[in-house]
Amino acid sequence: MKKIIVLLMLSAVAGFAYAGPEGSVHSIQLPEIKTELKAGEGKDVTERFCSICHSLDYITMQPKFTRVQWTGIVNKMIRVMGAPIPEEDAKIIVGYLTAGYGSGD
Amino acid sequence: MLNKYFSRRNFLKAAGAVTAAAAIGDLPSDLFAQQRRMAKFPEKTDLILLTSRPPQLETPLAYYKELITPNEALFVRWHIANVPTSVDLTAWRVRVGGNTEKELQVSMDDLRRFERVTYTAVIQCSGNGRGFFRPRVAGGEWGNGAMGNVTWTGARLKDVLNSAGLKAGTVDVSFDGLDGPPLPTVPDFVKSLSIDKAMEEDVIIAYEMNGKPLTMLNGFPARLIVPGWYATYWVKSLSTITVLSKPFEGFWVKSAYRIPDNDCGCVAPGTAPKKTTPITRMTTRSLIVDPADNADLVLNKPVEIMGIAFSGGHSIQDVMVSVDGGRSWDEARLGEDKGKYAWRQWSYQWRPAKPGKYTLMARTTDMIGGSQPYEGLWNPAGYLWNKIEKTEVVVR
Repeated sequence: MKKIIVLLMLSAVAGFAYAGPEGSVHSIQLPEIKTELKAGEGKDVTERFCSICHSLDYITMQPKFTRVQWTGIVNKMIRVMGAPIPEEDAKIIVGYLTAGYGSGD
Repeated sequence: MLNKYFSRRNFLKAAGAVTAAAAIGDLPSDLFAQQRRMAKFPEKTDLILLTSRPPQLETPLAYYKELITPNEALFVRWHIANVPTSVDLTAWRVRVGGNTEKELQVSMDDLRRFERVTYTAVIQCSGNGRGFFRPRVAGGEWGNGAMGNVTWTGARLKDVLNSAGLKAGTVDVSFDGLDGPPLPTVPDFVKSLSIDKAMEEDVIIAYEMNGKPLTMLNGFPARLIVPGWYATYWVKSLSTITVLSKPFEGFWVKSAYRIPDNDCGCVAPGTAPKKTTPITRMTTRSLIVDPADNADLVLNKPVEIMGIAFSGGHSIQDVMVSVDGGRSWDEARLGEDKGKYAWRQWSYQWRPAKPGKYTLMARTTDMIGGSQPYEGLWNPAGYLWNKIEKTEVVVR
């Protein structure tokens, strides 16, 4: 009984309510969360291509990488993960990431 | 007694600490370029936001004061952008086919007619702790919050496979879920197990977590559970099971989720492995949950150091605790045993008798002698993290 009370209290504190399937269809709506990238040359190109497949917090989450590392990551996105980024745009993206999210070497 | 302590006092503490979790100092201050954000997703409480599309959400450490991780606090990790957000249970089926006598369309009612299996097992992302790797590696920059201890209920995979009837020459079984790639060029998330692994008694298709339907973000309506192995195999929102007469060649097994093919799964930091193999079983690890890192403690006042310990399905033999940075060790008291796949809570009574800085450490050993390294073992993908963690506290 005490455990139930504690659980109810947690529900109130954490603001959660269990939403089980209603009828036969169970649906959720994902929140819209925006991540603002740093200003810089190539920001628009970076946003345009990277956000086709993933949110931009994938960028801001990363540690500060070198140009070589960012080049490797962008190439992996193109060659391995199937991102349709033309070569010229890939260069712009690497430049932007290195300047805004780089380690400085 | 231990149970009572964990389930009442700390439950409220945990709940209250959630919103402040980002500021507690769970993680080294240089871990993230920007401050960790909290986010509220459907059927989940406030969790640490790594990414929003696809969602990757981390559990605040305070929840690990609980033996069982609440459904709404369990971490979330998807690989590709089109995650399922609506499922009609009357239409949903798991297709079972390939190298089988017949093709099945398994409904939720069908699944529930198989023998019901329940056990508690740690679910942990392969990259849990990746944010602690030095040098840093790319990927989901998790702290220690990509894990949880959950009671799963479902049908044995082998019962489902047997009802389809395996044909001779079966080698692997692959698993696909309702999630899909945003572009046809992006590799769909499909995983595989060898037929021997797939037919193991404890591998189940779970339709309940902690006695309730799965949350959508944790794999509603049903997901694979491969206890003892990293969660990369625990395919969510199952849609297709394919029995194969040739080895599975898909990207997420052949190229991703691989570790150096040697005893430690590690290489010299910053170097590339010569040969890799798919990641499978979890390494043995422990964690101090309370006191938190940088906590202030009161001179001569008894403190209960507590935490969790688990292995890749080999139970826990003991947990040793050091309050002097590893010079001396003493045995902790173990909490309830929920089986070989579950984590074990532990606690250690300590009365600091001198003021100053202390380094608290915990080290566990499993039943087959597996334990934890003093220094983090490194691999390029940031997997298998199980270093002996240090919690710094100040006594005044």
